[in-house]
Amino acid sequence: MPASAACTKSEDLVESLSSLDTMARLKALRDVKNQIIGNKTKKLSYIKLGAVPRVVEILASDSDVPLLVQSAAAVGSFACGNDVGVKALLESGVLPHLLKMLSNSNSQVVEAGARSLKMIFQSTLAPKNDMFQGRRVDLILALLNGENDNVAEVAASVLARCCETEEHQKVLAEAGCLQSLIGLLGGSVKKREAALDALAALTRGNQEISSLLIDMEQGNAVACLIKLIKEKSPRTRLFACMCLLNIAKACSSGYQQEWDIKKCMLSTVVKLFEELGQVGEEAPGVLADLVTNNEELQKAAYEINAVEKLAEILHRGVISVRQLEGVLLAIAELCSRLEDGRRQILNLQGQYHIGMALESSTAGVRIAACSCIKSISRSVKNLRTSLTEEHLVRSLFKLLDDPSPLVQYHRPCSGVAKFTLMYCNFACVCIQLRIHESFSRAQYFNRYVSALGAASNIVLDFTPHKAVFFNCGGVSQLIQLARSMDSVLRQNAVWALRNLLYLADMMAKERVMRELTFSTLVDLICDSEEIVQEQALAFVRNLVYGSVECVQLIFAQDGAILHAVERQLCGATRPEVCVQGVYVLSNVAAGSEHHKEAIMEFVSPIAIGDRSASILLRFLQDMSNPQIRVAAVWCIMNLIHADSPGVLSRVLRLHDAGIQLQLQKMAEDPILDVKDRVRAALEQFSALGTSA
Amino acid sequence: MGKGESSSKKMITKEDWEKKLSDVKLRKEDMNKLVMNFLVTEGYVEAAEKFQVESGTQPEVELGTITDRMAVRKAVQSGNMEDAIEKVNDLDPEILDTNPQLFFHLQQQRLIELIRNGRLEEALEFAQEELAPRGAENHAFLEELERTVALLAFEDTSGCPVAELLDLSQRQKTASELNAAILTSQSHEKDPKLPSLLKMLIWAQNQLDEKASYPHINDLVNATLEEPVA
Repeated sequence: MPASAACTKSEDLVESLSSLDTMARLKALRDVKNQIIGNKTKKLSYIKLGAVPRVVEILASDSDVPLLVQSAAAVGSFACGNDVGVKALLESGVLPHLLKMLSNSNSQVVEAGARSLKMIFQSTLAPKNDMFQGRRVDLILALLNGENDNVAEVAASVLARCCETEEHQKVLAEAGCLQSLIGLLGGSVKKREAALDALAALTRGNQEISSLLIDMEQGNAVACLIKLIKEKSPRTRLFACMCLLNIAKACSSGYQQEWDIKKCMLSTVVKLFEELGQVGEEAPGVLADLVTNNEELQKAAYEINAVEKLAEILHRGVISVRQLEGVLLAIAELCSRLEDGRRQILNLQGQYHIGMALESSTAGVRIAACSCIKSISRSVKNLRTSLTEEHLVRSLFKLLDDPSPLVQYHRPCSGVAKFTLMYCNFACVCIQLRIHESFSRAQYFNRYVSALGAASNIVLDFTPHKAVFFNCGGVSQLIQLARSMDSVLRQNAVWALRNLLYLADMMAKERVMRELTFSTLVDLICDSEEIVQEQALAFVRNLVYGSVECVQLIFAQDGAILHAVERQLCGATRPEVCVQGVYVLSNVAAGSEHHKEAIMEFVSPIAIGDRSASILLRFLQDMSNPQIRVAAVWCIMNLIHADSPGVLSRVLRLHDAGIQLQLQKMAEDPILDVKDRVRAALEQFSALGTSA
Repeated sequence: MGKGESSSKKMITKEDWEKKLSDVKLRKEDMNKLVMNFLVTEGYVEAAEKFQVESGTQPEVELGTITDRMAVRKAVQSGNMEDAIEKVNDLDPEILDTNPQLFFHLQQQRLIELIRNGRLEEALEFAQEELAPRGAENHAFLEELERTVALLAFEDTSGCPVAELLDLSQRQKTASELNAAILTSQSHEKDPKLPSLLKMLIWAQNQLDEKASYPHINDLVNATLEEPVA
């Protein structure tokens, strides 16, 4: 019997949905339903024509079984994979009517209603909060325990979507759904998968519920989950792994044979990468979770070629956002401690895709890409070679202006002495982003702070990076931030600038000073906060280090900088400030005759009358601070450097100031560094022919 | 290392082989289940019902659902696509909503039937209204769409490069795809177990051939044991 080929106009059909004649209503309903199933275009067009409220009306007020079944089917189809439809349905108040259908006496009606409910709950717009109103949770639980398999499956999938907050998880657990869900694990494949989905959602980040699960049925519940890792269906395997992971995370005291189980999960999850659909999408993210902070597992994963497989997925090109995020997170974990992993991902040209991901429109993907780079850059070799591509660095700096709310501060290395800087592990070349519900000013502010922290690392001694940094306006940004109202921001900005100047050439230094200006520098040295002062002085230290031309910079604006430094040295309480200040003096003293004299003027002034003790003495005698003792000795050594003309008079002055005596007292300083420096200085003194 | 392959292979006579075979124990229930599985999956409702009565074997699914499924299959095999779609939607509205490729193939078959019946204007309109959006929604379908629409361009379809689309075997293909989807939605395996067992037999024989000389089963229908070749 061929169906009628006559084309009924869509508008007429929609009209007929409200017809008073039952048969006409039914026919229109069926026609609409058959037109929209599988057909996204038609769904949208019927929604536009206002079909949804009329269909919901039928659902709400009609009691005829065929009408109920057909309208439920239509509702389900409007909702299927279609957020526009879900929205329209929710706005028409469909939820209470669907829930009512679940208690209908006719099983066909119940099944139709259940199916549609499932469709709605697969959308992100699902009315999760509404499910906790009244006795709805009890209703869902009753369905979970009910006879109808299909309905129980739907109840489990609805529950799985309603576990977003800890509060929700608690309510559901207290209502007793855990037991029911475990019961479903022995059922058909679909029921089992829906139950596993729900269990994974309930245990996510929830220690209490995870513990409950462990204790359930004297450990049999967990034993059942472990068996399911080896099941035939890929979805079952994946969900079982997710559940076990959640439990393991919450209960770090571990359970027997945990390592073996985790290894088994590892190989299972890696195999699941190849699956199509949701399973293949979620599997990489699950791997990332599994190996977090576990070096042994990361190694094991590397050995079963996980990195290779992840790179393969990256190269596919067309992958979903969720999968990309998962893949990047997994790579980040596998490269976090393993040099092998880092090497492999670079060999497989992974950095290209990671770089692209830095510019993704999805914040989660950007986060994950940053984590990758952070992990890979832990290898100094990589920082110098594979990660120097300009576009990569540019993308990273674009993130300084990222619109995403919260950036977590990652502490840069706190290199103090020159040589430690070289060997530090430059952990962060990038900014870590975290998504938070509420956007607050403090969080926005934190973003800049960590971005600066990250920038400090990137500019340290790695010439390729520095050049790029200059070229993409990083300096200007930093200088602007150095003028910020907030002291932590200022501190970090100056910190980054200080690193920028480390071992930089004269041209770079001049460029920076042109923009920063000497008067701003003076302000920073005299900043109200000592943490900023410290960085400013360190900045000056790097600024004047090197050639005589560099030293000359400190005399700009009538020596304003030098005077500011001297002022701080006299008044500062924070030891780090003094250390940097003395190094400034030391670096200047390494300059020309003129420069040495300027320093002498400060440390050993030829004043007629009352001569206060040299400030250097104070530092040399400071037993609480070995660094300052070292710095002071360096300064002295530079002042009495043999190759300069006025050295003898300086030696005499320093001797008269009691410096040589003090040094002799320090010949057995407990700190090796200090002792060595002192001995070298004393040798210089004696070489110049003075005696104690 | 040896004198040669044939002499290093173990030799088993037909007599010995038959004795070994008779030592293998099989349960009648298992065999009945295999038969029932075949009948149910392939959709032989009446045969399944009779078999259930005669052997007491429980079918894996409600035989009623098989009837529904067979009605769908029949509709497709008769070229009645609109009817088939309505029926499968009544059976389970989720199937076509969650299987875009299947849905596309059903629409494609609809177009083919319109062309076959010479209703070319309708076909053109249908292609525009129904198939083009599928191609727009999913670029993977564009190539097949183009092939199908090519039918419209040829007055004499027998010379057309895509003429095979008009074959009745195309209907079979579509019918099988739809049948498999329905089975999956009912949590039923879409393939019967019997063919897999036969494949296993052939594979096992190939493996054993490297190590022994023994009676083969070459004729799967009659399952006669051939004399072993030296």
